[in-house]
Amino acid sequence: MNLKLVSIVYIFCICGISCTASNEDTSVLPEGFVDATQRSTHTNNWAVLVDASRFWFNYRHVANVLSIYRSVKRLGIPDSQIILMIADDMACNARNPRPGQVYNNANQHINVYGDDVEVDYRGYEVTVENFVRLLTGRTQNGTARSKKLLSDAGSNVLIYLTGHGGDGFLKFQDSEEITSQELADGIQQMWEKKRYNELFFMVDTCQAASLYEKFSSPNVLAVASSLVGQDSLSHHVDPSIGVYMIDRYTYYALEFLEKVQPFSTRTIGDFLQVCPKRVCISTVGVRKDLYRRDPHKVPITDFFGAIRPTRVSTDRINVTLANESDFIADPDEISANKRPFKIIMEPQFPSEFFK
Amino acid sequence: MSWVHLWCVVAPLLASVLAQTTPKDEHFHEELVVRPLSGDHVNTYFQFTTRWHYGQKENLYHTQLTPRVIAELLQQFDVRELHIGLTQGLWRYETWGYPIVEATSGAEMWAWFKGHNLTDEAVDKQWAQLANVFSGVLCASLNFVDNTNSISPRHLLRPQFMPANQEKFVRYASLPREIVCTENLTPWKKLLPCGSASGFASLLNSGYVHNTKYHSLGLKVRTLCQDHDEDNCILELTQTANLVYDLRLLEQSGNDFSLRRLFGMGLNGYCELATTSKIYVQRNELGARYQLVPLPPAEVQTTRGGYTVLYGVYDMQEQFQDQGERLFNIAWLAPKGEERRNRLKPAPPPIYVHRYLLGQGQERGRIVTEVTNSHYAPLPIVVQELIPWYVHAYLHTLNIRRRSMARHEYGRETLPFKLLHYAPGKQRELPTHLEIGFVLPGQSSALITIDVDYLVLKWLEYPPDANHGHYINAALVFSSLPMGTNYSALPLEGHLFAHSFNATRPSYVLGLHTEALIVSLPTPDFSMPYNVICLACTVVALAFGPIHSVATKVIVVVRPTSAGPRNFLKRLKEKLFSRGGQESTPMEGKREGVVLDDPCPDEKADGDQEEEREGKEEAAEALIANPFESLSSAACPTVWDL
Repeated sequence: MNLKLVSIVYIFCICGISCTASNEDTSVLPEGFVDATQRSTHTNNWAVLVDASRFWFNYRHVANVLSIYRSVKRLGIPDSQIILMIADDMACNARNPRPGQVYNNANQHINVYGDDVEVDYRGYEVTVENFVRLLTGRTQNGTARSKKLLSDAGSNVLIYLTGHGGDGFLKFQDSEEITSQELADGIQQMWEKKRYNELFFMVDTCQAASLYEKFSSPNVLAVASSLVGQDSLSHHVDPSIGVYMIDRYTYYALEFLEKVQPFSTRTIGDFLQVCPKRVCISTVGVRKDLYRRDPHKVPITDFFGAIRPTRVSTDRINVTLANESDFIADPDEISANKRPFKIIMEPQFPSEFFK
Repeated sequence: MSWVHLWCVVAPLLASVLAQTTPKDEHFHEELVVRPLSGDHVNTYFQFTTRWHYGQKENLYHTQLTPRVIAELLQQFDVRELHIGLTQGLWRYETWGYPIVEATSGAEMWAWFKGHNLTDEAVDKQWAQLANVFSGVLCASLNFVDNTNSISPRHLLRPQFMPANQEKFVRYASLPREIVCTENLTPWKKLLPCGSASGFASLLNSGYVHNTKYHSLGLKVRTLCQDHDEDNCILELTQTANLVYDLRLLEQSGNDFSLRRLFGMGLNGYCELATTSKIYVQRNELGARYQLVPLPPAEVQTTRGGYTVLYGVYDMQEQFQDQGERLFNIAWLAPKGEERRNRLKPAPPPIYVHRYLLGQGQERGRIVTEVTNSHYAPLPIVVQELIPWYVHAYLHTLNIRRRSMARHEYGRETLPFKLLHYAPGKQRELPTHLEIGFVLPGQSSALITIDVDYLVLKWLEYPPDANHGHYINAALVFSSLPMGTNYSALPLEGHLFAHSFNATRPSYVLGLHTEALIVSLPTPDFSMPYNVICLACTVVALAFGPIHSVATKVIVVVRPTSAGPRNFLKRLKEKLFSRGGQESTPMEGKREGVVLDDPCPDEKADGDQEEEREGKEEAAEALIANPFESLSSAACPTVWDL
């Protein structure tokens, strides 16, 4: 009996000890956990930048998308990881008096088209189908590598859309629309397929906030140039070409991004305050409820750049080189194989019919 | 040891490896040709050639100067020869003569396939994949190339590789709508061993390429294998950029120009990986009047088919031996005070082509191709047509009429066909493919006409800018010239521009492109459904009100209980203030019977009725029996506001 009691007490003691031990752990955990969730967890960056409108009078939308392209490229995302969709050609348009150049400003401050732009989808290729296929990774067989979003569970993806929109839709080339539900489904599918770690959704169009309303996937932060019921307005017109140059929201976003350097301490929280109503006229909408981090602790380069911590090793590293003979063939053998020969061609003209 | 140190160790090793293999069997050449053209135009032609004697196919896994994508292409596909052209603008044969490389406006692509057990279906598949690859590599919409817009040329576009006993397949497609801009130039430059960092490619800056009247990027890949032996092969990659500047559009005075004026900057050197980098400047004909600064250190006179051209040659590798850091520039100085109109217009080249569309309306038309032979002797002509599936061509209407150059109108004289190949098109599946051969007598023009119908497309087949119109591809016109007048194309077996010097042959195969056409197919009014909806809604709304009103109100038989106000003054007032008269008029004895309810009784009348209530004679009010009283009150709110 006594023995039993002792043993029970003993067990209780052990439980108590173990419980107190675990209590100690949990008291540490939340802070650590919070810290961990606030830390950047991505391993690579991707950007999907879409201009959905065609025709010369939509010059400003092309300038919009190129402004963001310029910024992400400047901050280090390589062209192979930027999918740029532009529905019409403005730079080499016959109406453009400055061929090969697209400006964000009538004073021609910044040529957002740049000298080394690479457009992945252009003209008629910019369709809702292609965009959804791109996001969900269900591209058709044989699609070129540069036209695929090859992101993974460690990718931070920036999606930027601009064009003409309305409550719950965005028009593509004036002939079709993507709805907010389709967008939300596409992003949900991306999440399920582990195609992003965090996603920053940015849209500059009328009633832009309606496009992110249906989102339900985690780790999505969304910003829109205007709330539902509001128009997004253009910034200014260039009388020499007769079109509006750029939209207000993107104009101020570019102004902000131009000041960001690769090792800048600016945060996404700062970026979300870009373009207050005083200058934007529309109210910038933000959706943070799906995003677990505090935007004020997220560096802007988490989405607009490709900055990752690098470890510099000062230790000696042993590298074993392959045997030279393994990858360099015998010169004698090479020359034996590569004898010069005379080139003979077929006749290039069907002269036999004219005899 | 840091990575930097490690690299210091590895780099010389790699360099020694490179040094061991590069100079022997892989060479890169840069060439730039500057030719003044008539009408104050200047043609600058860049050619970058990589020639790799790679031997066996396994060696393609180690690329050095050749871009990896091209080497992988040869491993992946059975392609032997590939041509891609991306062009903006139109080459004007009559005033500019012939270009060094031919191209049509928009994108053009053709390829030869050869392999073991290759079938037509397999080639179709490879062709579509190949187009997809290059749509990614060159940022062009080449992925729109598929079997619905590709043909297999029968007599033209002969293989430019060694003949073999295996069966060969060819596919050709062109996309006249394609736009060429910086996004094509950037990846095109990336294929060069030095990129755009140094060498002649550093001159190709987008702002100065796209302000030209004509610019054309070309890519040509071919493999040459010894006999039928696949173990001893050469890969040739030729990248060309052909530009035509209009001096009048450059911001400058006079007719002088220089490399810096044309390209925005001088030459910063040569590509260190290049075996040769040379600039050729034409010094005779239109180039003769210019004074060059600095003078070319060497000159080459070439006679080809009886046609002599003098080129000044600048070897950049020699120039930059003691050039230092300075940029190299060549200036063309025109004689002062020269009148523009005094200059001679050059004689037109032997053959030139044009194309236009006849007919009106959106139902049918006629495609016309005009070929002119200004040479004195008859010349053989082969024309290849690719007519897209949305245009039906009628073979029985095909004819070739002829006129002599002295006359202005075509008579009834027709030319006989020497060769006719016709593959009918199929809606949404195949384009019409036509090849016509005939002999065009000297000093005369031929007018090739074919009647076409325009198809009504399906709703979703229209592009977003349907009212822009649809394109009909340019025709390809080939001829075989007996002389080399104005002919500057590379000889078939050569790979450098320098190989065209003194390359006299029995005949010169000339390929020309006509203009592409734009037709407006019957295009519906796409806002029509919207208009119909608006109109229909209006009609329904207008009809609904009265019908609903009639259908929902109860008809009641009323017997007048009183004869209205007895007082004469009140009756007079009643008459004066009533607007409608009938409705609010108190019931007379003769109006007994059916009375319809007015859904919106007149304000005034009602007001009067209110007044009348005081007199305890509510005739009109009593008459009305409205089961939807609340509805009618909502429709006429002012009634109750009074």
